[in-house]
Amino acid sequence: MLSASDAILQVEHVSHAFGGVRAVQDCTFSVPAGSISGLIGPNGAGKTTAINVVGGALKLQHGRVRYAGVDTSGWSPAQMARQGLLRTFQLSREFARLTVLENVLVAATGQIDETLRGALFRRRAIRARERQLVDQARQILSNFGLDALRNDWAETLSGGQKRLLELARAVMARPKLLLLDEPMAGVNPALIDRIEGHLRELRDQGLTLLLVEHNLNVVERLCDLVIVMAEGRTLAEGTLADHRANPEVVRAYLGSSGTVGGARV
Amino acid sequence: MTSSTGYYIANLAAYFLIYCTFTLGLNISFGMTGILDFAFVTFMATGAYFAGVTALGPSTPGSEIYYILGLNWPFPLDLLVGAAAAGLLGGLVGLLAMRRLRSDYLAIVMVAVWTIAWNLVSNFSNLFDGTQGIVGVPQPLSTNFNTDPNSYVYVFIPLAAIVIGILLVIGYCIERSPFGRALRAVRADPDVASTFGKPTFRLRLTSVMLASAYAGIGGALTIEFIGAMNTSGWAIIETVIVFTALLVGGRGNVFGAILGALLVRIVIIEGTGLLPQIPGHPELLGAFRNIAIGVVVILVLVFRPQGVLPERRRLYFEQPNRERKARKSIRAISK
Repeated sequence: MLSASDAILQVEHVSHAFGGVRAVQDCTFSVPAGSISGLIGPNGAGKTTAINVVGGALKLQHGRVRYAGVDTSGWSPAQMARQGLLRTFQLSREFARLTVLENVLVAATGQIDETLRGALFRRRAIRARERQLVDQARQILSNFGLDALRNDWAETLSGGQKRLLELARAVMARPKLLLLDEPMAGVNPALIDRIEGHLRELRDQGLTLLLVEHNLNVVERLCDLVIVMAEGRTLAEGTLADHRANPEVVRAYLGSSGTVGGARV
Repeated sequence: MTSSTGYYIANLAAYFLIYCTFTLGLNISFGMTGILDFAFVTFMATGAYFAGVTALGPSTPGSEIYYILGLNWPFPLDLLVGAAAAGLLGGLVGLLAMRRLRSDYLAIVMVAVWTIAWNLVSNFSNLFDGTQGIVGVPQPLSTNFNTDPNSYVYVFIPLAAIVIGILLVIGYCIERSPFGRALRAVRADPDVASTFGKPTFRLRLTSVMLASAYAGIGGALTIEFIGAMNTSGWAIIETVIVFTALLVGGRGNVFGAILGALLVRIVIIEGTGLLPQIPGHPELLGAFRNIAIGVVVILVLVFRPQGVLPERRRLYFEQPNRERKARKSIRAISK
């Protein structure tokens, strides 16, 4: 267990039930600041529910969430976002009838200009700020190889490009902690390499990443810490190598055949 | 052109201008924010009634016409009261319904709001004289220009044009602003928008209040132009027609909203009115009108779902032709 100063996120005895179904039960784990951590486990283990509770999309029913040293139990997603905690979704959810550039622009947090008063009376000040934001957004889009597509409707992008756009959008928001829900789902191997590169870059810039992922090759290459969940509980925390030696984890998720998601375990 | 044709055309122009306030308003709530604002016509009626009872003097005992207020205030105060009343009602509905409900459920609540308001006004005759409605509302500036009922339209048109001009500019500024962009993000996916820290509830509430105020201004202009409003003037079908106009013109685009007002309010509604009557069945004209509306909605949604003037892709600090050139060169390189 990490001490409070090392951990950017501490999930303590969190439970969440949908009616009678207990998706997450007494779940406890910590995410060290500046790391890439993985959250793995079989389908239905409660990984996405845990992320939804941490991010505020689902109401916290029991337990406590501490983020950046502050008790954020019961905060809304918007509140969390303003404090620098951001999440992406299992399926790409771009803003469909916004251009690629606008998708990134809208992600900039703390936009005091997004008011009716701003739209009508502060046009000059906003124009100057918009110019800064556009420069910043285009820089990010160039990094992700999307700048040429900036004026296309986001809905016209391919699946892989949408994944990159999700990441670009998240970077624009300048989060401290990014929760990624299966960022590699449905992504071709070449693009997986690129996304991995981007994630490492983000970590090197000081961002903390927690990723839910089934592709254990990716988890092995990327993650400093791997948290295993099963049946709503945290089963183990450690490196993937530790988990390979843990019969409980092998039984619950990794399986006796020795491979999951293409990775030897 | 005979004077009666000129008068007819002038009246059409006046109705078109009034209708622009509705489509421009719905363009904010439905067009930009994606709220299925099926109570829209209720806000129009609120604006009309409140503008009416603000402009009228107190209801005289014994006249058997009952209404609240009767302030005898001059133009444009009546218009502002109408807009404010409609905006506040929109805000109240939004506060009660939008915190938890989204899309389809909110649409049902909006229909319920119309039903409640319509029945309240119809049956509670001390409010706005029940189904009879209020009549004899003074026409703004008519005494200043010494107009008679036939020539008033020529005073009303420039007046309405100024109001619509202002509303159009406001709509355009919103469309091009970070605020408008946030509204469109909420329209696309409110959950993701809130993930990025957008105050989705406040954005949706502002949008509905503003759209309601637009509807209220349209209602106020209506009652100022024709001098009367009753419950038959805001049947639920009227909301459907405004939606049709916006879908046809192009939602999310202020110029689409204007075009929709022209195409639907003038071409379809007036056009079906010119159809020859079937002897012995005068009621069929109304039915034809509604059938035409239904057919137009289906055709537009199937063949041109974004409307005649679709939402435009916004370029930021770059010229459109430069973008085209860049695309050409990208294509050339990829060949």
